[in-house]
Amino acid sequence: MSVYPLFILSAFLFSLGFFGVILRRNLISLFFSLELILNSANVLLVGFSKLHGNPFGELFVFFVLAVAAAEAAVGLAIVVSLYRFKKSVNSEDYTFLRW
Amino acid sequence: MKEVFFFFFGLLSAVFALMAVLNRNLVKGGVSLLASFVSLAGVYFTVGAEFIGIVQVIVYGGAIIVLYLFALLTVDLKSMKAEPLRLSFLFAGGVLSGALFLIILYAGFFLEGSLSSNVSGASDLARPLFYRFLLPFEVVSVLLLVATIGAVAVARREE
Repeated sequence: MSVYPLFILSAFLFSLGFFGVILRRNLISLFFSLELILNSANVLLVGFSKLHGNPFGELFVFFVLAVAAAEAAVGLAIVVSLYRFKKSVNSEDYTFLRW
Repeated sequence: MKEVFFFFFGLLSAVFALMAVLNRNLVKGGVSLLASFVSLAGVYFTVGAEFIGIVQVIVYGGAIIVLYLFALLTVDLKSMKAEPLRLSFLFAGGVLSGALFLIILYAGFFLEGSLSSNVSGASDLARPLFYRFLLPFEVVSVLLLVATIGAVAVARREE
């Protein structure tokens, strides 16, 4: 099996996540798109790990997973406390840090 | 046979990811994202990355998406005003991400070789993880502790 189908899947997930980051204004949807981008990197790491027969690429997926979990926890905590403050999860309502 | 399952799960994960990004209902989007991640675990199984597939189901499906859905519980979805659809953002996003997709495809067009068919289970990954990458592993444990304490400290209601 060639590596190219895996490559296409990764490219599709990455550009879809990028599209979501540009289009959506809801913070939780933005997080969904970010998770898609992280997953596209994981797909590519697994694909190249299998292409070269080297398990280090798959090991790196572990570290990406741990960082994704930490990012989700801290990001959601920030979103929840911002929601308590502003009663909105729309990113256009958070303009109070703007100079 | 492997190719058939690969294309099935890959198509499924792409379709569910599209639904997750485009759906305006957040709960439906989260559940579509869960389906997309579980299908991606199927993709990992078909290319022989067995342990990564299992971890993908447990961590992404069981932990991260459930965390998102629990965070959605604290948000009043009914009172939320509808997201404005900006045609300029739609256009810009479509053009930029389409161009990015084509550039990435072009970059990988000259790749040669085929995937090795050996299955990497837990024992194949454990030896390099606990010998060669022991220090990064321990650093990641500290990172998770910091993230846990930070999440509690940020989300705590101040009296």
